[in-house]
Amino acid sequence: MDSTKKRKVSALRVGTVWLLLAVLLIVLSLTAINVGSAGYSVKQILTALFSSEKSTVKTVVVNLRLPRLILALLIGASLSSSGAILQSVMRNPLADPGTIGVSAGAGTAATTILLLFPQLTGSVPLFAFGGAALACFLIYTMAWKGGVDPTRIILSGVAINSVLGAYNALLQMLHSDSLEGVLAFMNGSLSGRSWSQVHTLMIYAGIGLVLSFLCIKSANTLQLGDEMAKSLGVNVSVTRVLLSAVSAFLAAATVSVAGMIGFVGLVVPHISRILVGSDYKQMLPTSMLMGAVVLLAADTLGRTVVPGMEIPVGIVMSVIGGPFFLYLLRKRGKMIGS
Amino acid sequence: MVVNGKKLNIGYGDHTVVRDMDINIKAGKITSIIGPNGSGKSTVLKALTRLLPYKQGSVFIDGRSLKDYSSKELARNIGVLPQMHSAPPDFRVKELVGYGRMPYQKWYQKNNSEDDKIVDWAMRSTGVWELREKSIHECSGGESQRVWIATVLTQQPEILFLDEPTTYLDIAHQLEMMQLVKKLNKENGIGVVMVLHDLSQALEISDWIVVIKDGKKYDEGKPEDVITPKMMKEVYDVDCDIIHIAGREKPLIAYKEIC
Ligand SMILES: Nc1ncnc2c1ncn2[C@@H]1O[C@H](COP(=O)(O)OP(=O)(O)OP(=O)(O)O)[C@@H](O)[C@H]1O
Ligand SMILES: [Mg+2]
Repeated sequence: MDSTKKRKVSALRVGTVWLLLAVLLIVLSLTAINVGSAGYSVKQILTALFSSEKSTVKTVVVNLRLPRLILALLIGASLSSSGAILQSVMRNPLADPGTIGVSAGAGTAATTILLLFPQLTGSVPLFAFGGAALACFLIYTMAWKGGVDPTRIILSGVAINSVLGAYNALLQMLHSDSLEGVLAFMNGSLSGRSWSQVHTLMIYAGIGLVLSFLCIKSANTLQLGDEMAKSLGVNVSVTRVLLSAVSAFLAAATVSVAGMIGFVGLVVPHISRILVGSDYKQMLPTSMLMGAVVLLAADTLGRTVVPGMEIPVGIVMSVIGGPFFLYLLRKRGKMIGS
Repeated sequence: MVVNGKKLNIGYGDHTVVRDMDINIKAGKITSIIGPNGSGKSTVLKALTRLLPYKQGSVFIDGRSLKDYSSKELARNIGVLPQMHSAPPDFRVKELVGYGRMPYQKWYQKNNSEDDKIVDWAMRSTGVWELREKSIHECSGGESQRVWIATVLTQQPEILFLDEPTTYLDIAHQLEMMQLVKKLNKENGIGVVMVLHDLSQALEISDWIVVIKDGKKYDEGKPEDVITPKMMKEVYDVDCDIIHIAGREKPLIAYKEIC
């Protein structure tokens, strides 16, 4: 193992990382408001925002770009936090919300509604949330045997995920002529989202993110191993279930608003761990901040890189996230905490 | 604090590993569990400390059933260092040791100054005070083993359960670890139950020895009564002599020449 990655993490280092992320966040936010199919100057935007008259600039910025910006930040933070927490539950740096059925459950519910009950299309977020929760619940019920351990969760996750995946594939095959909505859901996108989604997600992500902070101590203890945690008086199985619930809640909330966006929950906590170490006191806030930055960057890139066309943020994340993750794995070898 | 296991059947899944085990741990003494690899020593230790539920029988701590203790209450009374343990390598020594205070806290509480004092005391008693700012991966095997003992000690237990505390340590560190155990036992009156593979060390340090063979108790008693050529032959299939040397309180084990 190379020695640099295991060096002690000083407060200075954590502070620097947070400062850099904060600066990035501000710069990216300003950019996201500024760029798009219609480019406005800063002066134009400011004049429009502070005048009482209606203008296209104001409409575009306030009704389109601003809600989208806030959504990207919330979703990025939520997915990263969800992944980070789940990784301590599984004691595995490769766990992500997909592992516990959140994506498959939400996908199944959304596909079913969109293809079989199109009259309910407006309620897709609600059903997606329910589907995610249900799949997760099913996986944990199957894995429970006087307690839960990561291996059993992963195994029953694989089983449920594959059954749901087959069902989805079948449904899509039978309705191959009306897949547009399904595809949009599967490739998570922030296109056309409005303030109403922001308000919903603010509540859910808000609750979820606050709950995440309450998970910090437990997440740290789980990193000491089951036997050690138990001998310190921790009820390991109950802790696992509670932390999983928080993680699933966050992921389900984002999936229901934006569809499936992969890799954030996997890559961001991993990079955070490299940067600030495995103590969740630092690692979790870093993940949230970095998740917000990464998702906003991906979304802004997706809607500006090809003029006149929007690439869904889910696809941008996979295209960039996949290779980047591979690069990290090769460069870093075994990761901290594994 | 005494621990009494009666007619214990312990195992994993449907597989019973330890049968009909009666085991009694006396207050404030050093008890060693010895036996070949796979004989069930760790399994017994886990059952006595509730890391593994037993299938049949009973365990009483100070006359109260093990099942009646809450997780935290148990952790305030007994400290366990499992055979396998690991922490994220970048955790700092003093932080890791600090986790030993968890049994005294609510899930949202942090260490207060009172806790910090106990953490300091544990680090000093185990000789890891100088390492407190280092991260775990910066410690040698012997040092990190002492850090773990400090963590468990921070629980302020009445009994310490240590599963092979000397594995991976060179002979100097092994002896150092044994001295530390003896010191904690003598000066702080902490009872110790440990699994040991080095029989000479077991003989020297223990007040009581329990021998396990194939999941059953083969014998128990005072070290000199238990560690005999006959036991060595029957349990380990090893020939040896027990030699008394003038000026040494405990006898030595002389194994038959290897070649
Ligand atoms: N988690 C487990 N699941 C299934 N079987 C196990 C498990 N742990 C131990 N065993 C089995 O139980 C038996 C006793 O194991 P145990 O770990 O108690 O032995 P031990 O005396 O501590 O050995 P060692 O000296 O090698 O540590 C062995 O046959 C082992 O294969
Ligand atoms: Mg063992």
